Amino acid sequence: MSEEKKRKGGIFQSVKEFVYGVAAHDSARFALKTRASMEHLFILITMGDMLGVPILPPYYSLRLLPYVVPQISTWKRRMLREKDLTDALA
Amino acid sequence: MNAIVVLILGLIVAFIGYRIYAKYVDTNIIQADPKRATPAKMYMDGVEFMPTSRNILYGYQFKSIAGAGPIIGPIIAIQWGWLPAVLWILLGTFFIGWVHDYASAMIAIRNDGASFGGLSHRLISPRARVILLSFIYFYLLLIAGAFGNVVVSTAIGLKASPMAWLFLTVGGVLAGQMIYKWKQDIVLTTVVTVILALLGIVVGTWVPSNSVLGDALANNRWLWAITGFVFCYFASVLPIWRFALPINYVASYIVFLGLLFGMIGVVILRPDFTLPAYTSFSIGIGPLWPIMFVTIACGAISGWHSIVSSSGTARQLESEVDARPVGAGVMFLEMMLALFALIIAGTIYASAPEYSAAVAKGPGGVFAAGVGKFLNALGLPLAYGRTYGSVMMIFLAVTIMQLVVRFMRVATSELLSDVSPVFKNVHVGTIVASILGIILVMTGWWQYLWVLFGGANQLMASLALLLITAWLISEGRSSAWAFYPMIFMFVTTVAALLYTSYNLLVNKVLAGKVTGEALVGNTLMGIVALFLVVAAFILAWEGFKAFQRYRSVGGQTAASKA
Repeated sequence: MSEEKKRKGGIFQSVKEFVYGVAAHDSARFALKTRASMEHLFILITMGDMLGVPILPPYYSLRLLPYVVPQISTWKRRMLREKDLTDALA
Repeated sequence: MNAIVVLILGLIVAFIGYRIYAKYVDTNIIQADPKRATPAKMYMDGVEFMPTSRNILYGYQFKSIAGAGPIIGPIIAIQWGWLPAVLWILLGTFFIGWVHDYASAMIAIRNDGASFGGLSHRLISPRARVILLSFIYFYLLLIAGAFGNVVVSTAIGLKASPMAWLFLTVGGVLAGQMIYKWKQDIVLTTVVTVILALLGIVVGTWVPSNSVLGDALANNRWLWAITGFVFCYFASVLPIWRFALPINYVASYIVFLGLLFGMIGVVILRPDFTLPAYTSFSIGIGPLWPIMFVTIACGAISGWHSIVSSSGTARQLESEVDARPVGAGVMFLEMMLALFALIIAGTIYASAPEYSAAVAKGPGGVFAAGVGKFLNALGLPLAYGRTYGSVMMIFLAVTIMQLVVRFMRVATSELLSDVSPVFKNVHVGTIVASILGIILVMTGWWQYLWVLFGGANQLMASLALLLITAWLISEGRSSAWAFYPMIFMFVTTVAALLYTSYNLLVNKVLAGKVTGEALVGNTLMGIVALFLVVAAFILAWEGFKAFQRYRSVGGQTAASKA
């Protein structure tokens, strides 16, 4: 009985996820992309030294560093990853 | 033959294709491994690379690939008879379509989520990347032209649709405001805005465009072409959350509810095909081979899917084994959508001349009439159903158009900013893309434009298959299942593009049979087609050289060895 209930819940969940995928997943991705672009631009301005782009005096970078630490690896990857025009499509 | 038989055939093909053929390839050739980390896990950034449930990705992939393409293609192709169209949709999907979509996702997964430009650089040659990206630019221009034409013909042919379009746009903008600015509940937002969009269908039916604008303006092609591209302009320059995304969000409910209830209507009515199974090998737009094979693009195989699969879906798959349900499974679902469109065109008209008269005004009218008939089986009055179908068609087309114009704005800036800094301006880039699109819409005959779009789309697919074949050879895996479809698609699409450009340039332009707008349109379309063919030949040559390189090193390791 509980197995059947679980399966029904599973099907309901699958349909729910499918509808989310059709209607809203793209919106969520673009919202995240927009936020990430802004944040990464900010990190580039403040921490550009890490990629060899000296922008701010190190004093300010060091003051901001603790807030940026969690994102550094992601930021570096996104900045240095090879991109082309098709990235804008999907 | 009864439409239900066609749907059952479709289900059988989908079952065998997905459960046996795709499973065999996935298990024995690609050897998808649930324990291998995907790019979504390895490079998770919470944005592009993010492990996502396969059910969500199933919906995302379907929404991204199922635009107006799988609907319009079969509606036009039934001019050769419904039997060739059914066979191409079923066999094309079985042997080529799912192979292309699934393998495009897998090649990106196994190459760190790289997009096609990077993959062509790595697997084929540096030149291949430049050619491929130039090819994609012109391919997208043809999409804008072909879909823009559909919007114009639907707005003129169905006078109720502009008001419904306006209401849906207002509903979408309101949805963006409610979600992002007023922080309203998503369910409340959805209910309010979808009801507003449905209200637009009722109001549009009561107040057609000619009663507001007058007959002359309501039938003016320039007005609707400019309206369509102004819509895309806003989608391109406004923040994406304010215009494009919320409109797509509301439209997705209208479109997919319409498709769902339309399918139920087909099952209730169980109509017979009234048009002939086969008419003639050669018709007005060209011979069955190669033209029909490019006319039905998205329902059988489409190059657009490779871009979505590689740059979008592959970066979100949380397990390699999810690539089969998402990549291959969704392609079979789209095949069913194409069959639905074919059933609409093949069953709602009493005779072939009646269909010919309807399709001459544009495919939007045929689709809207069919949706109206099948929704009528569920109790919705015919007039409202037809308006519902027309707004579905408009949004299926503009959803892709706005994405394309946005992309062309970025590409224009990238390509021309060195010539003059003015091209960096978002408004200038968007206007350049819009003007090119409007020129195509206003000067090209829509059936030729559709064939050219289909040809470019299928050629993109064959280039994706070329890349996949190069990757399979470089990995030392069996490649015949991708190689032969690639050869078939390459020969067919090059033949279709050459045939169409010859018709346009030699039989019409050089023969002096066209003047004015048609002269501009035919010349432009013919030149674009020739450019695509030349680009495809260069890429094929580069690909052939890459095959040779991989074979000479024994096909043991990846591109670095070659």
